[in-house]
Amino acid sequence: MTENVSTAGAVKAPAAKKGGAGLNIAIGVSAVLVVLGIVLWAMQLSGGMIQTAMRNLDSWGLYITSFMFFVGLSAGGLIISSVPKAFGIEGFGGIAKVAVMTSIASTVAAIGLVVVDMGQPFRVWELFVYSNLGSPLMWDIIVLGTYLILSCVYLWAQVQSEKGKVSHVALRVISVIALVCAILVHSVTAWIFGLQQSHEMWHTALLAPWFVSSALVCGTGLVMAAVIALRAAGYLKLGQSHLVKLAKLLAVFLLVDLYFFGCDLLTEAFPAGSGMAVVEMLVSGPLAPFFWIEIVGCIAAAVICLVPQLRTNPLLVVASLLAIAAIFCKRVQLLVGGFQIANIDYAGVMTPFTVTNWEGNMAQAYQGMVYWPTPLEFGVTLGVVALGFLIFFLGLKFLPLKPQNQE
Amino acid sequence: MTRYGMVIDKKKCIGCNTCAIACKSENGVPDDIWWNRILTEGEGVDVPFGEFPNCSIGYLPVNCQHCENPACVKVCPVGATWKDPDTGIVRQDYDKCIGCRMCMAACPYTGVRSFNWEEPRYAIGFATGDADVPAHQKHTVEKCTFCYHRVARGEEPECIGSCPGRARFWGDLDDPESEVSKMVATRSHEQLLPEMGTKPSVYYLV
Repeated sequence: MTENVSTAGAVKAPAAKKGGAGLNIAIGVSAVLVVLGIVLWAMQLSGGMIQTAMRNLDSWGLYITSFMFFVGLSAGGLIISSVPKAFGIEGFGGIAKVAVMTSIASTVAAIGLVVVDMGQPFRVWELFVYSNLGSPLMWDIIVLGTYLILSCVYLWAQVQSEKGKVSHVALRVISVIALVCAILVHSVTAWIFGLQQSHEMWHTALLAPWFVSSALVCGTGLVMAAVIALRAAGYLKLGQSHLVKLAKLLAVFLLVDLYFFGCDLLTEAFPAGSGMAVVEMLVSGPLAPFFWIEIVGCIAAAVICLVPQLRTNPLLVVASLLAIAAIFCKRVQLLVGGFQIANIDYAGVMTPFTVTNWEGNMAQAYQGMVYWPTPLEFGVTLGVVALGFLIFFLGLKFLPLKPQNQE
Repeated sequence: MTRYGMVIDKKKCIGCNTCAIACKSENGVPDDIWWNRILTEGEGVDVPFGEFPNCSIGYLPVNCQHCENPACVKVCPVGATWKDPDTGIVRQDYDKCIGCRMCMAACPYTGVRSFNWEEPRYAIGFATGDADVPAHQKHTVEKCTFCYHRVARGEEPECIGSCPGRARFWGDLDDPESEVSKMVATRSHEQLLPEMGTKPSVYYLV
């Protein structure tokens, strides 16, 4: 899914050259997909979530996986554009506004994915009336909302600052706040999983920093892919040195993310206790494809970004798409894997209990457990992702996102 | 304070599933959902464990453990699941549940919480069960209530009296004179996943 989405963006973007006609088509296509997604969502609500592949023993699926993923994607843009401003260092050549726009679009998609996962979306008002402030999910709703508003304010402040209406000091203050909020939003999303003692795979203090590093990987990847596409489309000009800087940054984030993964795997495996099951599931079990795509993808992307001869534009796009795909695979491992291993080691615990046969055993129950989304889930997810793209394209069309000196 | 709890004598459980059925009919639990499941020790359902001829069979009835420190209550964003201070029963409000399934992910006791993935269906075409049981709702989470409707009337949960092996006991764990407190005090027992720190109110005599 990730790759489709990303290449779709890359394919659509060059068309923007023709006086915005391509952009209009992209907006139209996204809008149609959004409408389609809403229709499918209505089907899901009326016919019941039985039409998804989620069941009691794997009660979250593609929606929450993609939610984690889009929260991560939203990071990169904001961090890429706020870090240089916050610390008063040279930036990435005027891509700050486009980068923040990717953040806004990803955040909207993330919020949308939580909404479609809810069984009773019409009760969403309860979140604000009966808020249980002790729930990590409530923290996430608060932080994510703040983050979205802050991203919009930050974008507005940048535009105003270029017109000389907002002082640089004020912009710098906003960028510091935005940066803190960006770190928080990933930590809190990690805590939805990491604070739960019931899933050994999730319950680690490393999860929050790890979510931050993964967010930086795919966020930087997204900004790099978007910027190369927009440059190819003639939307903005950008010196190659800025791209090289982005690529080096991506490489560092990739290596940190891999390092965290290594630490986590070793900590799970070393006692050779129940954590061994987690490692086996990832390395050679049902989730092995996702595990190896992540590992190989991250290493390949890092190599491309680190070897000067390989830093050509097509390969940099490959590297950023690999980085994004790798992080999506990581999200799948975390979410699906978390539900794979039961705490109670008794027969029948992993089956729906009603479906039993005389030769039923753990291996069979285990096989049946691996979750794979239904077409409906793919469709609804595609609709929400299209909403993110729609917002991004509308931003390109109607907001002054081009670097100041190029307008 | 009252803290209702359950004691299940594993030595007496014969794995007949009567309590599961009694629970299902008393509470009108929809198709494909079980609040009370009987797990088998070892590799297969209703299959003995061990190497022939030294085989043995053991069952583990599992329903909501009504923990003293419930993982589910903490994570519910709207307080649709909460611990009743007067009885210690972990309750669930179907009208309030937003269907986010955070509680299902948080509960360490795999499978005790169920979600109605569709409009509740019933094998005989209509809902059965006690008149005081709240109606089941599509897209909300539900689980064992310790038969709160019966407890409120001063009765025991349905699974207690229906057990043919008389393996299930019910009472106030905070009252040292209650049958369950005495059993826990004098018999060797275990609890499910004590390492999770949830302090379940269900004890298993072994």
